[in-house]
Amino acid sequence: MVETKNPVANSVMVLREEFDDWAVLFNPDTGQAFGMNPISVYIWKNLDGKHPVGEIVKDIRVNYNNVPGEVDEHVNKFIADLVERGFVGYKA
Amino acid sequence: MSECKCSDKTEEKRKFSLNCIYFYLTEGCNLKCRHCWIQPKYQGEGKQYPSLNFETFKSIIQQAKPLGLSSVKFTGGEPLIHPNISEMLDYVKEQDLRLVVETNGVAATPELCKKIKTCKNPFVSVSIDGSEADSHEWVRGVPGCFDKAIQGIKNLVEAGFRPQVIMSIMRHNKSQMEAVVRLAESLGAGSVKFNLVQPTARGEKMHESGETLTIEELLETGQWVENELSKTSKIKLYYSHPMAFRPFGRMFGDNGVGCGVCGIFGIIGVLGNGKYALCGIGETVPEFIFGDATVDSLKDVWENTKMLNDIREGLPKRLEGVCAECLMKNRCLGSCIAQNYYSNRNLWAPYWLCAQAYKRGLFPASRLMPKTTTKTLEYAK
Repeated sequence: MVETKNPVANSVMVLREEFDDWAVLFNPDTGQAFGMNPISVYIWKNLDGKHPVGEIVKDIRVNYNNVPGEVDEHVNKFIADLVERGFVGYKA
Repeated sequence: MSECKCSDKTEEKRKFSLNCIYFYLTEGCNLKCRHCWIQPKYQGEGKQYPSLNFETFKSIIQQAKPLGLSSVKFTGGEPLIHPNISEMLDYVKEQDLRLVVETNGVAATPELCKKIKTCKNPFVSVSIDGSEADSHEWVRGVPGCFDKAIQGIKNLVEAGFRPQVIMSIMRHNKSQMEAVVRLAESLGAGSVKFNLVQPTARGEKMHESGETLTIEELLETGQWVENELSKTSKIKLYYSHPMAFRPFGRMFGDNGVGCGVCGIFGIIGVLGNGKYALCGIGETVPEFIFGDATVDSLKDVWENTKMLNDIREGLPKRLEGVCAECLMKNRCLGSCIAQNYYSNRNLWAPYWLCAQAYKRGLFPASRLMPKTTTKTLEYAK
């Protein structure tokens, strides 16, 4: 089932941006770290509870070149993975 | 778009199957490299030092397959001067094991290259430490070995390989790094890997005498390779600094080269004298010898050696110093705990490059946990 509420990043998570627009996402509770590519970083920054997934996808289409047609599927899958890991929830 | 990558393994997912054996086939070597961390005896004309018994080799493989063995690495000393190398290659092929060979190329004859090629998914790397004979032979210690190594690469290419060229960088040859890349391209190599001289055995003496690069130089050179030199070459370039210093895009981007994690949880070393060891470090650190293949059961060694079990239990959570504070520790695993132990006699000590970089304020802040403690400085020398 597709979640209709706006996703929001867990405030515990730490995002460290680097010189090449990639970033490391760190979970202080578990010590886990994840490499994030520039579009993942862009998505992460928009997981503030104010942006529906559809709006994030729309912005990606506007702001990036060579966006694949199935970008909405990719974004939803990415966010679902973050939710599964407990890094993201949905605004009540 | 790629999803989150670089995740660590959780405790419950860890399985300690023996995936790969590193065979240090010979106690001697036909070169006498000034930076070698194994420091084998020089096997010049007319000399012959012991090497792994062929029957012992076969027995080890037979014992290892039920433990999960899927690949072997032949290294040394110099694996291609083993008196039974041809039979060993036949046996590896017969056992359907993936083969990796690390060689100096001098003894890479057309016949051996063809035979290696018949094994399963083979990969070969050849050490070249300069773009011309003077520089290479200054490092390798034997006149004439440059032309022979180049011929070895040509033989490998002729056999269908795109071998990896490995260059160990030091003060003497740093200026030739780009030229080595061009040489590798012209020869048909598939990639170039730049290794840092480790402060172990002969490499330790080079560090002490100032023949290696400073921390600042190593980090600057790494950035140059990662961000500039790699863009000028169609073959892949690897620079062997720890993950904390490597841009994510270079590891996981569209043309990424991966993150080169040590397979410590799934490997064991076998030395030329038939001893089981963590890896080649067993040549210089007796604590890393775990048994003797001629008398001990591999299953028993693999499952019951205290140090192996300590490593399995302790990595990465017991790492100390800057490694304890590093966001990459779940993947990097302290970069090389054999080296860390050699330098500190402590399995959990941090990697020398990271400790020294941290002390100098050169460790990437974005790769450190939010609150780094003063204990981090403990190991920086």
